[in-house]
Amino acid sequence: MKKQLNLNVNGQDYEVEVEANRLLLQVLRDTLDLTGTKEGCSIGVCGACSVILDGRLVSSCLTLAAGCEGKKIETIEGLAKDGKLHPLQQAFIEYGGFQCGICTPGQIMAAKSLLDENPKPSEEEVKEWMSGNLCRCTGYYKILESVMAVVDGKTDPNYAFRKRETTAKIQSLDVYKSVAKTSSD
Amino acid sequence: MEYFEPKSIGDALSLLSKHGAEAKVIAGGTDVMVDIKFKEEPGALVNIKKIPSLAGITERGGSLRIGALTTIRDIETSALVREKLPVLWDACRQFASLQVRNTATIGGNICRASPSGESLTPLLVLEANAILAFSDGERSEPFKTFFQGPGKSAAGAKGLLTEVDIPIPPAGSKGVYLKHAVRGAMDIAMVGVAVMLTPDAGKNNAQDVRIGLGAVGPTPLRAPKTEALLKGKALTAALIKEAGALAATEASPITDQRSSAENRRWIVEALTRRGLEQTWKAATGKEVA
Repeated sequence: MKKQLNLNVNGQDYEVEVEANRLLLQVLRDTLDLTGTKEGCSIGVCGACSVILDGRLVSSCLTLAAGCEGKKIETIEGLAKDGKLHPLQQAFIEYGGFQCGICTPGQIMAAKSLLDENPKPSEEEVKEWMSGNLCRCTGYYKILESVMAVVDGKTDPNYAFRKRETTAKIQSLDVYKSVAKTSSD
Repeated sequence: MEYFEPKSIGDALSLLSKHGAEAKVIAGGTDVMVDIKFKEEPGALVNIKKIPSLAGITERGGSLRIGALTTIRDIETSALVREKLPVLWDACRQFASLQVRNTATIGGNICRASPSGESLTPLLVLEANAILAFSDGERSEPFKTFFQGPGKSAAGAKGLLTEVDIPIPPAGSKGVYLKHAVRGAMDIAMVGVAVMLTPDAGKNNAQDVRIGLGAVGPTPLRAPKTEALLKGKALTAALIKEAGALAATEASPITDQRSSAENRRWIVEALTRRGLEQTWKAATGKEVA
């Protein structure tokens, strides 16, 4: 049995036709080609598929698509605006908040929903809020550091520039030159 | 699979009568969707989320009424629940992930009738009632008799839980919900214990003690012998030790992938003791002597 569905995803309206047993996750990924949202455990315990539905963080792998008529959905694809990353995305890059990256869209959406509600959470509040988001690369400290960097306004829009500067500095060190020479020999 | 979104309780009930055992009610869907994916798809899915006025928390004549579609997160963040029903609040904040709490409803948690359901032991010790709608009328069923086995409840296949009616405990009464699980709130409980203690006027004795045990029987249980042992007494370390051991004998756990039955009894003993210590201290201001 199919159902017509109107969804607003990242500010854009879509009209789709879905089978009644489809999940929001499947509609986002397979129908709308928004593959940023990942499927992890598919039983609602890992948080990889987290999206924001009408302002609330939910697991899209447990959300019946047919029940989402007229709802507003935010996914990772909606964060960057005009080629500029969202501060959380920027912070995850700068502070190394991910390794393999599978959990990252869910982590960032979870953090975003927290900051939408409380822009100045404590470390403890961040930990509690995000306890439903697993990272199997065990990068929790870096994730926490990334989120706190946004809370404390410590992200650097000139990160790429600063990184180039740091790289140049390292490359100018004698020890680097000798190592680089040895490894190229 | 057929899919329906009834707009009223009456419409939902007629769909349930029409489709009988083929029909499955879905609200938040955090349990139902897992079944659809990994077990089997029902013939008809009846999504009751569009029925107005089934969500919300209101105080009415000595009771809190919580609509079946109220999410666990809405209960967890309700100042009214936190103040009046601390034992239920305590369970709702230890309920899976935020993602699930934002979606799961109290009605779904109840009708799932899983012995480990987080909200169930608090409802038992609060001596709450399920308000059930059937095609021939409404009735109120105490949770004591509502749960009939894993996945089985007095709502049956044709009834709909519309509200939970929870008598507000006397002022001064304190409650805690203690959960033992490997991954904290995220895991299904190996054991959950709800304890509610009401002190007497002088705060010298426990006028009333209620203990609920979760995940240690086919339904959530009360521990009547342990409650009777404690009633009217001042809690001492020796008495609490005895109570913990007695509560362990009142549980009837099984061994499964989460825990052995023996381990579950030990945990019941430890959590009962801890729950009594905490509620005694909170209610009387005194440490257990």
